[in-house]
Amino acid sequence: MNQQYDLVIIGSGPAGATVGRFAAAGGLSVLLVDKKQELGAPIQCSGAVSRHALEEVGVPLDDEFILEPIYGFAIYDQAGAATKIDYRKLKEDEYGSGPGRKPLGYVVDRRRFDRFLMTQAERAGVETWLKTEGLGYQPTEDGRCDVFLRRYNEKITVSTRVLVGADGLMSQVGKWAGLQTHIKITELAGCLQFIVDNVETEGLLEIITGHEWAPGGYAWVFPKGHGYAEIGLGVIPTMTTHSAQWHLDKFIKQSFFKERFKDSRILEVQGGGVPLAAPLRTQYADNLILVGDAARHVNPITGGGIHTALSGGKLAAEFLIRHLSTPGVSCAAAELKGYQDDWLQALGDKMWKLYHTKTKVFHQEDIPTRDAYLYQTMSDYFDPNSEYKKI
Amino acid sequence: MSKLQPVIFDIGWNACINCGACVAICPQEAGFISPFDTIAVDRACDIACLLCESICPTDTITHKLVEEGGKD
Repeated sequence: MNQQYDLVIIGSGPAGATVGRFAAAGGLSVLLVDKKQELGAPIQCSGAVSRHALEEVGVPLDDEFILEPIYGFAIYDQAGAATKIDYRKLKEDEYGSGPGRKPLGYVVDRRRFDRFLMTQAERAGVETWLKTEGLGYQPTEDGRCDVFLRRYNEKITVSTRVLVGADGLMSQVGKWAGLQTHIKITELAGCLQFIVDNVETEGLLEIITGHEWAPGGYAWVFPKGHGYAEIGLGVIPTMTTHSAQWHLDKFIKQSFFKERFKDSRILEVQGGGVPLAAPLRTQYADNLILVGDAARHVNPITGGGIHTALSGGKLAAEFLIRHLSTPGVSCAAAELKGYQDDWLQALGDKMWKLYHTKTKVFHQEDIPTRDAYLYQTMSDYFDPNSEYKKI
Repeated sequence: MSKLQPVIFDIGWNACINCGACVAICPQEAGFISPFDTIAVDRACDIACLLCESICPTDTITHKLVEEGGKD
């Protein structure tokens, strides 16, 4: 007989590993698989995450993955005028690097972060297999499902009550179930970033708006630890005839930061697709749920997805522990809908609201009007009094 | 931009950064993927929407038309 689990999770990123860690701690038997040899690589993420997001799901603030602490934000308009939100000045008793003070968030190394999260899951009792890809799944008559895997070229079938698709933006698991996962070209930003030497930063996440630099998206300069910085941008393909690479080159050489960047040396090249889109309308099917980027749990204003993956992962685990504790309970789609209901209530409704805010910005046809609107929206979003601080 | 005639994609691997954006935007069914986490390059794409080419951050995806009666 095939090996049996309560949960099989495909993809060991922040979402998958967090589902696994909480589910195993709650007594479920869990298999977590990832096709990679090194989690988090190649890096497709800027790595910014709030301290609150880590503490909320019990992730220790460990030097193993933290590259640099963050104390606030700087939002720039196209010409370089900035709104600075530095918590070291706003709340100097609370935020800072001195004793008794703390950072607002961190830039993490996704390679070390993802490995750390898998280690935490493994220590909580999760069985973890690297170099293992998912090939498909099939519900079975006993109310469970078979999951077809390939591990170091060997085909293996395991049986599980629920399959958790945590396989990222490129998710295949959602497609297996026939879920509507397709993302619109107007809502996926093509992103490129360079890790660079010789660019000064000051503990702030810097966000540069303006059609001139990043049509449909924004550019960023983040501190990256060891004196390095990360310069990147994302563009919406329908709003430009050029690639992200072309725009990044222009941003570095021609923007109001060209003097600041003139001695920069590129140490690493990274890229990815970042959804500036709504969550999936249906994130469950028979014996299956989706979490993290695979469910498009990504902030549509910032493109940030670590916080939403962690908190959504914990929420999924809590639902599954509760649901599977009932003897003989069904794992048909209608029964797993409760997961999505819980998620909408805790996080999703706010993400939908953010999506509508973002859509209003990009429906402005006039470019200067849109630029002004985006700058204002970003400045409001990061304002200390923003209602979205915790998304 | 969209062509109805099937195409075969070609990826300039030298510029590819394995970012996965092409797979993320691809409307094909599950499995239209190369071993390097890009869209498939070993078989024809009959949708030919070319969205993968436009999302590519390094502009390194091109295509050729599949000739009639040619390989599939």
